[in-house]
Amino acid sequence: MGQALDRMKFGIVALMAAAMAFGLAFAAPQAMAQDASGTDVGGGAAGAAADADAAAAAADAFDGGIDAPAGEVNAASAGGYAPMAPTEGKGMPTSYQEDALKSMTFQDQYTADGAYALGMHDYILMPVITVISLFVLFLLLYVVVKFRRGANPVASKTTHNTMIEVVWTIVPVIILVVIAVPSITLLARQYETPPEEAITVKAVGYQWYWGYEYPDHDVEVISNMLEADEALSRGEPYQLAVDNRMVVPAGVPLRIQTTAADVIHAFAVPSLWFKQDAVPGRLNERMLVIEEPGVYYGQCSELCGSRHGYMPITVEALPMEQFEAWVVEQGGSIPGSAELEDNNDPIDTGDESPAAADPEAAADA
Amino acid sequence: MATTADDFAPGAGAHAGHGGDHDHDHADHKPGFFARWFMSTNHKDIGSLYLMFAIVAGIIGGAISGIMRVELAEPGIQYLQWWAQFMGGANDINTALHMWNVFITAHGLIMVFFMVMPAMIGGFGNWFVPLMIGAPDMAFPRMNNVSFWLTVAGFFSLLFSLFVPGGSGPGAGVGWTVYAPLSTTGSPGPAVDFAIFSLHLAGAGSILGATNFITTIFNMRAPGMTLHKMPLFVWSVLVTAFLLLLALPVLAAAITMLLTDRNFGTTFFDPAGGGDPVLYQHLFWFFGHPEVYIMILPGFGMISQIVATFSRKPVFGYLGMAYAMVAIGVVGFIVWAHHMYTVGLDVNTKMYFTAATMVIAVPTGVKIFSWIATMWGGSLEFKSPMVWSLGFIFLFTVGGVTGVVLANGGIDDNLHDTYYVVAHFHYVLSMGAVFSMFAGFYYWFPKMSGRMHSELLSHIHFWTFFVGVNVIFFPQHFLGMQGMPRRYPDYAEAYTFWHEISTYGYYIMAGSMIFFFVNIAYALLAGKKAEGNPWGEGATTLEWTLPSPPPYHQFETLPVIEDHHDYHDHRPATA
Amino acid sequence: MAGNVNHDYHILEPDIWPLVGSISALSFTSGMVLNFYPDLFGSTGSIVMYLGLAGLIATFFMWFKNIVVEAERGDHTPVVQLHMRYGMILFIASEVMFFVGWFWSFFDFALFPTALEYDPSADTTTSLFGEEGSIAQFIPANMEVLDPFSLPLLNTLILLCSGTTVTWAHHALIHGDREGLKQGLWATVALGILFSFIQAYEYSVAPFGFGGNTYSSAFYMATGFHGFHVLIGTIFLAVCLFRAYKGHFTPRQHFGFEAAAWYWHFVDVVWLFLFIVVYIWGGWGAEYH
Ligand code: HEA
Ligand code: HEA
Ligand code: CUA
Ligand SMILES: [Cu+2]
Repeated sequence: MGQALDRMKFGIVALMAAAMAFGLAFAAPQAMAQDASGTDVGGGAAGAAADADAAAAAADAFDGGIDAPAGEVNAASAGGYAPMAPTEGKGMPTSYQEDALKSMTFQDQYTADGAYALGMHDYILMPVITVISLFVLFLLLYVVVKFRRGANPVASKTTHNTMIEVVWTIVPVIILVVIAVPSITLLARQYETPPEEAITVKAVGYQWYWGYEYPDHDVEVISNMLEADEALSRGEPYQLAVDNRMVVPAGVPLRIQTTAADVIHAFAVPSLWFKQDAVPGRLNERMLVIEEPGVYYGQCSELCGSRHGYMPITVEALPMEQFEAWVVEQGGSIPGSAELEDNNDPIDTGDESPAAADPEAAADA
Repeated sequence: MATTADDFAPGAGAHAGHGGDHDHDHADHKPGFFARWFMSTNHKDIGSLYLMFAIVAGIIGGAISGIMRVELAEPGIQYLQWWAQFMGGANDINTALHMWNVFITAHGLIMVFFMVMPAMIGGFGNWFVPLMIGAPDMAFPRMNNVSFWLTVAGFFSLLFSLFVPGGSGPGAGVGWTVYAPLSTTGSPGPAVDFAIFSLHLAGAGSILGATNFITTIFNMRAPGMTLHKMPLFVWSVLVTAFLLLLALPVLAAAITMLLTDRNFGTTFFDPAGGGDPVLYQHLFWFFGHPEVYIMILPGFGMISQIVATFSRKPVFGYLGMAYAMVAIGVVGFIVWAHHMYTVGLDVNTKMYFTAATMVIAVPTGVKIFSWIATMWGGSLEFKSPMVWSLGFIFLFTVGGVTGVVLANGGIDDNLHDTYYVVAHFHYVLSMGAVFSMFAGFYYWFPKMSGRMHSELLSHIHFWTFFVGVNVIFFPQHFLGMQGMPRRYPDYAEAYTFWHEISTYGYYIMAGSMIFFFVNIAYALLAGKKAEGNPWGEGATTLEWTLPSPPPYHQFETLPVIEDHHDYHDHRPATA
Repeated sequence: MAGNVNHDYHILEPDIWPLVGSISALSFTSGMVLNFYPDLFGSTGSIVMYLGLAGLIATFFMWFKNIVVEAERGDHTPVVQLHMRYGMILFIASEVMFFVGWFWSFFDFALFPTALEYDPSADTTTSLFGEEGSIAQFIPANMEVLDPFSLPLLNTLILLCSGTTVTWAHHALIHGDREGLKQGLWATVALGILFSFIQAYEYSVAPFGFGGNTYSSAFYMATGFHGFHVLIGTIFLAVCLFRAYKGHFTPRQHFGFEAAAWYWHFVDVVWLFLFIVVYIWGGWGAEYH
């Protein structure tokens, strides 16, 4: 009996240690990479981009999306802003047929925090939970084979072993601490306050569509889901595509505010690792920096009534000039430009002047 | 002691009800049919009623999940219009979509309040807590009965809600969480009121039941059975009862606020009058998180009994096992906001709830490893309850560790309200809780019915069910990570494959359930007579000292638990 | 008990009232729902509801009557009495948690207020959420609240006083002084009724209506549920008084009385919290009516 117990003790300790080592092996470089690149989300796009690379996710960054085919220009908006065509596999779910492996994990991430979170999941959480599950499975199979009645007709009477009990209490604690450190860091990053100059977009949930208000630009957009044939004809995925997108500049801090007019909705975009409830009577606010231009799809993520499944979100991130072109086309104004001298929004530095007002600048982007 | 035909003859005790004649020996004198089943004050009969009720509710809840899975097999709305009309709604798309919300609401509420809770606490708890502590019955037999009938009343109220207007169609389409303001201003019509009262009624029943269990366990243990000698199943019910007692009244207050907001002009959750929808979520989850442990702790208890029995070994680390459950219960009260990571909590709150939530993995791990250690060195026999328990330990672990992933507030920002969460909680519920229920059912069925079920059929049931539910729910992790939101009747093309697989899993699972029902029918009709203790020397708790089924009133002379007995060996010295 | 029963537990005969009570409860709640929608269901709601209510009252009456009969018959052995103690304590614990829910919402509104404006003439409230220059405050602008140091203080004194009279009755009972028991109970019941009347009067003169904003919602629901508990407690004590006249209770066995007294103390303590939290702290700084 004693022998069996010793073996068990040894087995468990060894496997626990292995699990830990596994976790640490993934966690350490992760944490170090983190330290190296700093946690300065507030520092802006450059720092954030570095982070993303460090986190080794979103590997295929900056490879397209920006050069939206001119052919996609919508007749209605010819000359100015043209809705960008989405890139397969970017900012949208991937089907099993397209890429089996990709269909089984997270979407690629296009924000620094998203990349960090994805890294944390892929390199810490996923290995840890896999190892724990397999470890439990292994132990179960082991006892099933080893201690089946045929193999072990007489049961031991052991009911206590302080050492092993301490081990299986302490080791999970350590594993959890290993998880908690990056987890808390992630939270701190996600809650960086947006800088003064961040561009505000207020997403308002309605039953059942979204409204996007740009208080800095005097623009308001009402966004409804596209019908199936319309979406397909535009080369967009049905149930994710909308008529009027939430257009934002890429690479600069956005202040996303959410609220709702009737019931609770949630503004969620998986590829940006962003989800924030839109609660009537509340204004939630979170910073978002989208690393690169592209079309990012999301869906309402709080049960809001019968058409809850049909109020998608499409975020289109554009280079600043194109964004400003869009603003102008929507009849809005660019803060800091000629007519709004008093607004000293440092984002659109004055010298980049009326690019927006110049249709050509927008067109050749 | 065997049941004979005249036990069911009406008449005998049907006049009772005023506690009249009690001065004759009624040890095995069973009341007539109506009195026995509709006026019961017998813990075993009430337990049986609860189990039958839970099986009916499980069939309904499982059938609804079938409707859901079939609809989700491919993108687009396939059958919902048909269901909308079937339920008396209009033939338009909004009504059809509303039906989806009605189905998930009914499925969630039925499974939680009318299947798992009645089966585990009402059914197994009623049957075996008194037997295991050597008591003749529950402390409050009459109140025991009202707990049951209030649960039935609650179920009826939920059924009523399906046939009256609830917004865009018949039925309450608010999710089992009944979030305001969707459940207040967002759902005109009586359906949601009926659903709310359903929770009031079932909740009242559960609170009374909890009072009954705590009193029974504290006051009616056989001489010599100290708290620290109580079987772990009894411990688990004790902790569960405390969770019920303290959590349900808060839910009652919250849903009462929903009612007054809906009907009397209060503005608890209505921002127009300064109210706060998020307050509802706090109140709901202050109940809701303990609720999920209410659904699993009795399962933990059953698994402990079964693993010990079929390992022929006392439970490893008995005290640790008992106090782990206490710890889970206590910590379970201070982690509720991990369901609300995206509502706009401030960063410190989110950090706190992240850390606190993860703490629960530690006592739960103690339980997992102690079960394995119980088997270690044992002499394992793979009777059906044991294989279900082995399945439980593994699948619950899988569900538990995805809970730890969700516990990270920053990670949950992506996973919240996606199918990853659906996968998580079905692993702990539809596999954890349900596997432990089947384990307990096969373990105690011979004791309750006096008949042996077929081991072959129960093993086939196990393996097919195991495959089925894993095929249903494992792919849902992928869907969730890819961004598939919950509570959607329809989805983007890209999600099709895994949804389709998931639906195939449902067919396997449904086929598997046939073996369960056939097995029960076979056992009741043609099963071998069960001995008092069919499981051999590993079965050491008091219920195995009685014949199967036990006499109508057992322990008329209380068993005495001798001092020198080991933990977990509760047989009277001379049994 | 005769036969081979060798324990002191109380094994009951089958009883119809749990079933009747549950059906009545379902009928009561369902009738209430139907009543909320007279355009859909006409007056059926009231019939269903009052039938249910009648059934519930009958159930409570018969149920407690049976318990009393059993007690007087001697079925309540010491261990059964202990059960009842546990049962009552646990029931009160769950009631405490019920009030935690109402206090939770009160604190939520008081500590995280939004901007509201009250119109006393129309008894309506407007939300100023998001409006320029609006001030977040729990008591909506222009709203007057009840002066805690007027009738509420009186009610506090009444309840505190009734706490002592019920103890008086208890001591009298323990010392075999039946007259003292009756007098103490009479006084307690009278104080309970007085409290309810004052509370009802105060509701009728309150400077704000029911609902419409968070303050009045939380105020009326919290104090209203307390008031409901006062009624229950008063009835409970009145039943004890009635039983005292019937000669029930002995100095050694009188749990029915004790349970009523515990319940009364619980109701009393809830009031103290209401008085301090809702009336004094909650209304602090607002205009008193
Ligand atoms: C039986 C029911 C049950 C159980 C037991 C659990 C257990 C746990 N749950 Fe789960 N949960 C639900 C039922 C349950 N849950 C339901 C129904 C929902 C959704 C509600 C809704 O929105 O509708 C939900 C949702 C839910 C969320 C919210 C997700 C969201 O909506 O965004 C979270 C987040 O923290 C969470 C976490 C956890 C954790 C950490 C545990 C832990 O208790 C798990 C602990 C167990 C283990 C970890 C495995 C064994 C341990 C070891 C082998 C030791 C070693 C392990 C480590 C060191 C990690 N759960
Ligand atoms: C205990 C709880 C429980 C159980 C067992 C199940 C079982 C199942 N659930 Fe359930 N589910 C929930 C609780 C549960 N679910 C909850 C709370 C929600 C969220 C609702 C919401 O969003 O508001 C949900 C939501 C939910 C969804 C998501 C819907 C959506 O978001 O749009 C889906 C989709 O596939 C689903 C499917 C299934 C399936 C296929 C099963 C199958 O496993 C069903 C198979 C049937 C059984 C396993 C029961 C068999 C048992 C008996 C017959 C009784 C036996 C009795 C004794 C032995 C005594 N469920
Ligand atoms: Cu809007 Cu869901
Ligand atoms: Cu939880």
